[in-house]
Amino acid sequence: MHLVDFFTWLNNLPFSVTLRQDEWPFPIIESFHILGLGLSVGIIMWVDLRLIGVSLRRQPVSQVVSQLEPWAIVGFGVMIASGFLLFIAEPLKCYLTVAFRFKVVMLILAASNIRYFHTNVYSNVSEWDDAEEIPWQAKMVGCFSMILWFGIIIAGRWTAYL
Amino acid sequence: MTLRRILPLSFFRWCEEGSLGGLIQHSRWSFAIIETIHIMALAVLLGALLIIDLHILGCAMRQQHACEVVKQFGPWSWISLGFMVLTGIPMYLSEAVRLGNSPPFFYKMLFLFAAVGLNLRTFKTATKPLSDRSSAADKLTASLSLVCWVAVALAGRAIAFLSK
Repeated sequence: MHLVDFFTWLNNLPFSVTLRQDEWPFPIIESFHILGLGLSVGIIMWVDLRLIGVSLRRQPVSQVVSQLEPWAIVGFGVMIASGFLLFIAEPLKCYLTVAFRFKVVMLILAASNIRYFHTNVYSNVSEWDDAEEIPWQAKMVGCFSMILWFGIIIAGRWTAYL
Repeated sequence: MTLRRILPLSFFRWCEEGSLGGLIQHSRWSFAIIETIHIMALAVLLGALLIIDLHILGCAMRQQHACEVVKQFGPWSWISLGFMVLTGIPMYLSEAVRLGNSPPFFYKMLFLFAAVGLNLRTFKTATKPLSDRSSAADKLTASLSLVCWVAVALAGRAIAFLSK
């Protein structure tokens, strides 16, 4: 069975057809997906900028993370839930759209970046919490995060329109 | 309610006939790029506003004073709003006539003004001296501004949707 057959099968499921063809669900879900950008990327970018060292410098890293990350998690939850529904509404179109494939690759990279941050970088944050010099690994995580999330936004917009 | 009930058709025609409107109209790429910047600016705007409003509601950046939070994130909300207006204007000019006849666009603008006004109020009261804890009125204003921004986004989405 080819992947395209799987996505065609998904595409023909009644739930997918309904989501796609009914008037209101898709635009409303899409609106929350866009609004969720503020609660997810719009919040995590400040953690990233702190890691890079260009913003919120007067606060220890751990304080910025503990204050903002819980909200970003809620935001990403909204994005995952709405994103999943948007995907289920048009699985075949998503599979066939290059921009969406880029988006998925970047999402996987972004998730790996988060995991790397928590296991390898944040674990010893007490040593560099309010240090002048931030470890290069932390700066790297912050940079990757910014580039990936804004790249995901760009790819997402192109998915909708291609 | 639409903008056409307030302004004459000639105004919207004039908007579209200008060189900027024409340029965007005929170039899918420029509209796409401008819209993408509009969305990225939206993420920054909502994020900064959410942090300030969440602080006022007592849910974020609790170790800091309200005026510090506003000083850190306030400017970014104005900068990103500026980018949204800068990208919004060309997009508007490219289809001014259609938007003039669009009820969702009217309400988007209405809620946008309401949201900006509420946020100005929020920022101002938050930077009052000796206001460590926000009063109930400040929290209401913060909540209302968030509701208005949600309405702006929903109305914005409805523009494309309701003119099929």
